[in-house]
Amino acid sequence: MTSVNPQPINSASDISYEMVCHFLYREARLLDQRKFTEWDNLFAEQGMYWIPLIEDQPDPINHLSLAYEDSMMRQVRINRLNHDRAWSQKPRSRTSHMVSAIVIEKICDETNRLVVGSAFQMAEWRSFGLRTFAGLYTHTLVVSDGHLKIGEKRVDLIDSGEAFEPIEVFI
Amino acid sequence: MDIDRLIKKDEVHRDVYVSEEVFSLEMDRIFGSAWIYVGHDSQIPNPGDYWTTRIGLQSVVMTRGKRDEINIFYNRCPHKGARIAEEGCGHTNGLFRCPYHAWTFNLDGKLRGVPYLDGYQDTSFDLTDPRFSLRKVARVAAYRGFVFASLAEDGAEFEDFLAGVKSSLDNFCDRAPEGTVSVAGGVFRVVQRSNWKIFFENLNDTGHPIATHESSYRAARQYSEEVLDGELPFELHIIDGNGAPPKFWSDLDLHAFDYGHSYMTAIFNAPDDPLSQQYFASLAAKVGEDRAEDILAVNRHNTIIYPSCSPHTSFQQWRVIRPLSVDRTLVEIFTFRLDGAPDELLQRTFTYSNVVNSPSSIVMTDDVHVYAECQKGLSTQGGDWVSQHRNAGQDQPYSGSEGGLIGVGTSELPIRNQFRAWHEYMSEGSGQSVSPEAS
Ligand SMILES: [Fe+2]
Repeated sequence: MTSVNPQPINSASDISYEMVCHFLYREARLLDQRKFTEWDNLFAEQGMYWIPLIEDQPDPINHLSLAYEDSMMRQVRINRLNHDRAWSQKPRSRTSHMVSAIVIEKICDETNRLVVGSAFQMAEWRSFGLRTFAGLYTHTLVVSDGHLKIGEKRVDLIDSGEAFEPIEVFI
Repeated sequence: MDIDRLIKKDEVHRDVYVSEEVFSLEMDRIFGSAWIYVGHDSQIPNPGDYWTTRIGLQSVVMTRGKRDEINIFYNRCPHKGARIAEEGCGHTNGLFRCPYHAWTFNLDGKLRGVPYLDGYQDTSFDLTDPRFSLRKVARVAAYRGFVFASLAEDGAEFEDFLAGVKSSLDNFCDRAPEGTVSVAGGVFRVVQRSNWKIFFENLNDTGHPIATHESSYRAARQYSEEVLDGELPFELHIIDGNGAPPKFWSDLDLHAFDYGHSYMTAIFNAPDDPLSQQYFASLAAKVGEDRAEDILAVNRHNTIIYPSCSPHTSFQQWRVIRPLSVDRTLVEIFTFRLDGAPDELLQRTFTYSNVVNSPSSIVMTDDVHVYAECQKGLSTQGGDWVSQHRNAGQDQPYSGSEGGLIGVGTSELPIRNQFRAWHEYMSEGSGQSVSPEAS
């Protein structure tokens, strides 16, 4: 994939709106292409993937979350998705993400961080049919070694308190 | 309906899972009479707090009254029938008010006020007649904060019903330094496309993990080998356990009791780490070291309180099974704080639940999938009978104080035991089932 920014990134304020949009679109596209390992490589070393259970959930430690996964748990999920005997992945999930309304909410040059909000919908086809997830993403992006990385991807589903059928792929 | 034709000693007819007629009879004879788990009293700590849930297909409201008593009534306004409380937890200031015409009710369900009262003169309406109050469920009972209800006036006494698995509830609470537990951290809710009994059968079925969960334990082991030199942090340890060899499973004990209850001995222990030591110290400070050791020596995996719930005593999980239709089941998972234990212990309870019980669990998803496959297969004409033969006839009376039957870890004893109670309830008995296997 050709990079929008051939120059290394030195600080958060070097990042344009266009680069942010491209980063989010690319992230979603890797998921839809089931390139999970490449997707996981977008995360910073300590990066977290988080789906809160309740609206405005303040923290992932003192409350249950639909998912709160570090690099280890993401990679184990990926290993499983790629395993022959992942029974519930027969047929495999297929997804299509729409990411929109991207807004840079905060830029912090001292910590080299950006907070980016967006809206998304993900359609997923499973053996039991087509279903939709919808909600808001909040990406905390960090500049690390000249690259943009995900410090936290927070997925606030609008129906997070609903009863769900199993959620297997990343949203 | 001829119930007897559906049950053999070690097989059941597929109709018990797929027949709409059987399902509606179950709602009447089992969920309309058995002691069903409603909620925990920590969900309604103050007068006016309420928790709305279901007993079978009935919407019910559990509320704490003025004198601290717990009331449970049907969620149905006696006027036009609207539900008076929304699902989940809520609080009302001393009275319930129907959103439709503003009839009001005291916390015990008694009708308090009706607008345009003049208009009711010379009619059969009577403010004091119970039929114009919220209807209470027939019986309510609680043990150590766990509240159950029965929709039938007659039936087994709660004490008798609970006897076999009372020790699991004791251990659930005794693990807390204060001796009490509180619901904490929210509720997971998972929908399964399968009959409610399939979930119950799975809870103590040790024959399935090695096959069903292969993708997740292999995934965990792969990560452990590639990245951690074989080390298994807590999360991976939980997932890895499902891949234990056959002897591990058959060496476990299964205990079965009247009314369809059972439990299985633990498949793994909490790690021996600084947090476990800190927790032990907090428990020992309250109850003494010897007692604390005895409490933690009672280490169980799933306990089944048939037909509505399943506590996991050593990681403070509580699953509630709510049938939705013949082929749909809702499972709600609650997590509990051990009152007086370090906060980090609750965080570990959440970690366990995130891995095992979340809708996004990489373990449970294969369970839910195979349940749905059973439901689909059982709907075919490929065979009428479902096998429960494993170790049938080999279970023994247990000599310990709890009584009941004991079987090897891979026995289908808990499943046969559930169907004995099922048969008893469905034949309009109390659910108490004498054990033919012991004779
Ligand atoms: Fe399982």
